[in-house]
Amino acid sequence: MRVLADVTGENLRQWRESKGWDVPRMARELRKAARDTGEDVAAHHGLVKMIPQWERGGRAPRERYRLLYLKVFEDVSQGMAAGADLVVRIADLRSYAAGLPAPDEIRTLEAAALAKPRKSMTPAEIRARAAEAIIHLREVAAKIAELSALLGDDAVGEVES
Amino acid sequence: MSARDDEIRRVVAELDAHMAAVEASVAALKALLADDEVPGQEDPS
Repeated sequence: MRVLADVTGENLRQWRESKGWDVPRMARELRKAARDTGEDVAAHHGLVKMIPQWERGGRAPRERYRLLYLKVFEDVSQGMAAGADLVVRIADLRSYAAGLPAPDEIRTLEAAALAKPRKSMTPAEIRARAAEAIIHLREVAAKIAELSALLGDDAVGEVES
Repeated sequence: MSARDDEIRRVVAELDAHMAAVEASVAALKALLADDEVPGQEDPS
């Protein structure tokens, strides 16, 4: 959750730029948020002068304005939190995928299992299990590549197909 | 939530499912190897 302590000059500039807003637009958004909550704030031209000062860190916004910033950027902060969760999840999956056995290792397991007949699984079932694992392993490699393309990075090839 | 985020989440879910399937099959093969039972040689007790 974003809190008042996050309302620092650098964050204010980043939040504004993440929306593609110029300073006058930021001023309009702050005044709109204030209107919605029935608060009095500085006039538009006053805010246009104060916002760059806040962003440079020369002056800190008063609590009323910090709360307005949090209200304006509520959706941005929620989106950023969700995005961060997804990045962590993807990193975990990639790391996990890299630890999966390679097709050769699965074939070795299959050969070892076929060499010692058992009642619990027929040779056909053993072959089917191994083939299924290799098919899914290839799908894992394909999905990692798809994910990398979507994310626009080069982290492809961690899983051999 | 953007369409790209939705697409990423879909691929992540599919990736997760495929990895679980690999794990399940490999675990079954490993369990088989860990089992020393051989047909016709069961312990009669």
